[in-house]
Amino acid sequence: MERKKKPTRHSKVTSLGDAAILARNALRERPEICLGGLFKQGRPVALVRALLAAGAKDLHVYSSPGAGYDIDLMIAAGAVEQVFIPGVTLENRLCPNFRSAVESGQVTAHALDALTVVGGLMASAHGVPFQPIDALRGSDVLKHNPLIREIDCPFSGRRIHAVGPIRPRVTFLHAQEADRWGNLRYLSTMVYADQLMARASDMVIASVDRIVPDDVILDDPSRVTVPAHYIDAVVEVPYGAHPTASFPGYAMDEEHIDAYADLGDAARTGDRAGLDAYIARHVTAPTSQEDYIKAVGGADNLARLKPEARTE
Amino acid sequence: MSAAFSPLEQMVVVLARDLADGELGAAGAAALVPMAAIALARELHAPNMTVGGEMFFNPEPGHLYPSMLDDRALGRCEAAETFIELFGHSHHGLDFFFHSGLQHDAYGNINLHHVGGTLHAPKMRGPGAANLSYCHTSTRFYICPTVHTARNFVEKVDFITIPGHLSGPEAKRAAGLTKEGPRFVVTPRAVMDFDPATLRMRLKSVHAGHTAEEVQRHTGFDLGIRGDVPQTPAPTEEELTVLRERVDKTGTLRI
Repeated sequence: MERKKKPTRHSKVTSLGDAAILARNALRERPEICLGGLFKQGRPVALVRALLAAGAKDLHVYSSPGAGYDIDLMIAAGAVEQVFIPGVTLENRLCPNFRSAVESGQVTAHALDALTVVGGLMASAHGVPFQPIDALRGSDVLKHNPLIREIDCPFSGRRIHAVGPIRPRVTFLHAQEADRWGNLRYLSTMVYADQLMARASDMVIASVDRIVPDDVILDDPSRVTVPAHYIDAVVEVPYGAHPTASFPGYAMDEEHIDAYADLGDAARTGDRAGLDAYIARHVTAPTSQEDYIKAVGGADNLARLKPEARTE
Repeated sequence: MSAAFSPLEQMVVVLARDLADGELGAAGAAALVPMAAIALARELHAPNMTVGGEMFFNPEPGHLYPSMLDDRALGRCEAAETFIELFGHSHHGLDFFFHSGLQHDAYGNINLHHVGGTLHAPKMRGPGAANLSYCHTSTRFYICPTVHTARNFVEKVDFITIPGHLSGPEAKRAAGLTKEGPRFVVTPRAVMDFDPATLRMRLKSVHAGHTAEEVQRHTGFDLGIRGDVPQTPAPTEEELTVLRERVDKTGTLRI
């Protein structure tokens, strides 16, 4: 008997440009985007830049509870309408474009907290209509938080809070490694809320510093942080988190982020030329990650971020 | 006599002395002083302290970093968690946590959202904050801003991001804040605690080289100074040596 040829499994490896268009089109249906990582670590910044270059607009941005550089850049590029991130800061200084845009009323920044965001992602990931929260008291954030409701606990009768599912239309993640099917391996110590976001979202696109052979995954399955089942596309982007960190590969580029923030501060006081030039040079002009790496001084320059990322 | 020390080193020592062996606690982002205090306490008298609740357990950083939420600041650590576990920690609470903000008021409430205007039309928009639960699910917390002026110590904050004692015992009870809340405030100038009857902030001690009059002048509300104010016990020789040799090897607290 003649054996039928074995059908082929589809690789999820995608180009940065195609991934950006996929995301942009999805976000036109529903503008809710969620970003993995935390503050200056593990942020999918190459995907964000590509999305901005593809012309995304009026985005509602979610993240793990703390973000900085990327949300500020998205605002500077005029792509954001609402921010659903509890803490927005560069940590050593405030986010200049976030500040300006919220102070001028261009962007709405909702008052939220970590449990609301994490709880909303949990409800979505678990497929339940809401997540109870019983640890929010006394803060003025509760008066303004648009995502929570007060409910009576059906067991104790006490007034508690509930948050409905947060279901991003698109989530961007950054991991150190994946196979071609999209099994993500995080080699960093922290994995933030990325596992939750992967399960909570309609579409998940991951950038990775490198694609590894199938056997790397198969030989050590408990090391997989996010299974390919949750991933729609994976893009190999060396330094894909730059200028944020991708531990243990490279540390955050504090110098780059500080220089960017200086341009943002200048824009706050009326001189936008430097910020516009920054966006043109890093976001609009590059047609590939190689172009971007050249724009930030080349791979040799980025190699300085490697020693700092390793813990001795 | 102990050697000269910096204002931040004095703050670290004040905090470290109050952290007990066997406790569970953490600091969040922007937490140079709290992280140093935790590390110093572990070195000196609290070897069984668990640092946890922020997505990892017992970090061993190579040197001091300004944020605890940083793989570099973890250095090596015993275990890693995620925001999923942080959800639980936030409900169960820790023994101690630390906060500081743009504004701090007479009842230890902290503002990180906006100064002037309203939330959605702010004169100055701040960063907000991620975790609003540890301040009241934890046994206690400490307020430790690295500046102390009449602009960041105000009678009433423009927005309560992190509740302290609200407007006193009754308001605190009504809001369901059942734990201790802010235990004391330490700044580069002084230590302040809270009057147990009113829960208003009062001057407890001034650091070496500072005066009660000066602290009051740089505070936007009455610190209830009556008579002589004691001096904050300076770092001992041992505290300073361990701090510099084992915790802050690069001298970050002296810059």
